[in-house]
Amino acid sequence: MNVVLTALVTSLAILVGVLTVTAWGIWFERKFSARLQSRLGPTMVGPVGLAQPLADLMKLLQKEDLVPEAADRAVFNLAPQIAALCALGAAAVVPFSAHIVGAKIDLGVLYLLAIGAVTVLPVFMAGWASNNKFALLGGMRALAQSLSYEVPLVLSAMVPVILAGSMDVSKIVEYQAAGSWIAIGPVWLGLPAFVLFLLAMLAESNRIPFDIPEAESELVAGITTEYSGMKFALFYLGEYVHTLVASAVAAALFLGGWDGPFAPGLHWMVLKTLALFTFVYWVRWSLLRFRSDQLMKMCWYWLVPISVALLLGAGAWVVL
Amino acid sequence: MSDAWFWLLAAGLCASAVSVVRSRDLVRAVLWLALGLLLTAGLYAYLDAPFLAGVQVLTYVGGVATLMVFGVMVTRRHTSASAEASNDSNAVGVLAALGVFALLATAILKTDLPESSAPTQTTAELGRALLDTYLLAFEAVSLLLLAAIVGAVVIARRRDVETRETRGSAALPSIRVGRTEAD
Repeated sequence: MNVVLTALVTSLAILVGVLTVTAWGIWFERKFSARLQSRLGPTMVGPVGLAQPLADLMKLLQKEDLVPEAADRAVFNLAPQIAALCALGAAAVVPFSAHIVGAKIDLGVLYLLAIGAVTVLPVFMAGWASNNKFALLGGMRALAQSLSYEVPLVLSAMVPVILAGSMDVSKIVEYQAAGSWIAIGPVWLGLPAFVLFLLAMLAESNRIPFDIPEAESELVAGITTEYSGMKFALFYLGEYVHTLVASAVAAALFLGGWDGPFAPGLHWMVLKTLALFTFVYWVRWSLLRFRSDQLMKMCWYWLVPISVALLLGAGAWVVL
Repeated sequence: MSDAWFWLLAAGLCASAVSVVRSRDLVRAVLWLALGLLLTAGLYAYLDAPFLAGVQVLTYVGGVATLMVFGVMVTRRHTSASAEASNDSNAVGVLAALGVFALLATAILKTDLPESSAPTQTTAELGRALLDTYLLAFEAVSLLLLAAIVGAVVIARRRDVETRETRGSAALPSIRVGRTEAD
């Protein structure tokens, strides 16, 4: 009983923590992007617009829930829930500090990759069930993109796994705490792997410069075209949570996780995660998006061969 | 963990498997299949094989189901959500299913399965078995897969060249997404 209770409390705490950070992450992004474009961003609700996420939530809750006449109702309704569930589920194995982990499982990295692979399905479901050209095209692009970028993502995530000799995310962090961070471990190996992981992660979470699935100038809003109110909010939330959790995973796998001097582990983990999170927004608001075929070309011509080479390099490094 | 989990998973698996066959809508069938594959992974996890469960989700739910969905998307008409599955060959399907079931059932009944031996280090043993004891078989399988991939590319490319010649259009050669948009 005690174990179950601890698990419940931990997971609830992580859930609330992730959701809170996500809500104010959205506020932060709006402020940040506004600053990049010499605007002020939200200012009206609360001091410096800090209560904006709450206002947005209230607005979304009150909106009418629309389902298109010709939509496949069951699939249409299920898609946003699965999307949010997948994004939140990945947070379970992220070690926020040496002791704060939702589930300490041996195969944490595999679990993360598996959840990441499932994330494609709700996107497709939404695109298909909406029965809308734009949604379908968006869904198709998302599928092609996720399928392709899955490969470099998995391969580059294998580099820390091979170096640390474990698939347990906590063990990988411990390995880095004992030696050097993997991003600078052997720097010729860790840094490219880290960059590849970041790129593939951006592509998987459909952020600019990889947000073709919802390129608003061509596809209205892609898969979310027909969604309104809370269902749209779930997609939106899922996307942000996905970015946040992926930043945390990248921090844990490559940047030493909770390892750092002076302050307790949690501080460092949060700091690194938020730094990567900010980096994602920085990229988002300063770069243009790729074209669909350029995206595929980059993945298959460059990222996949490089990640295979890195994998071989990691193997050689460990053996020699 | 108790037997209740097993029965729950098995019942869900059977229900989704039946739904795959009974579903008139092709996309729904694929989604039911994805659920079935996910529940299979649940069975693996229940049987203390977490690695197998993870790989099952990664390759079957994330890979195979997604590829099927992709196939439906690029081959069917995009304007309507109904992609009807044809259920013309019911009798043959039932016969084939029964045949496979009989084969598997006899194989399982004839094999002397250990009562309960949950090995503690399945993943490490699995890795050692694949790269040591069964290295040759492992490499043969990967060679076979590689040959299959190359073959698929050759077939796809040939058709691509043909269509381009007949149409006289200089469509993007390798990316199918771009082509279907133009259709």
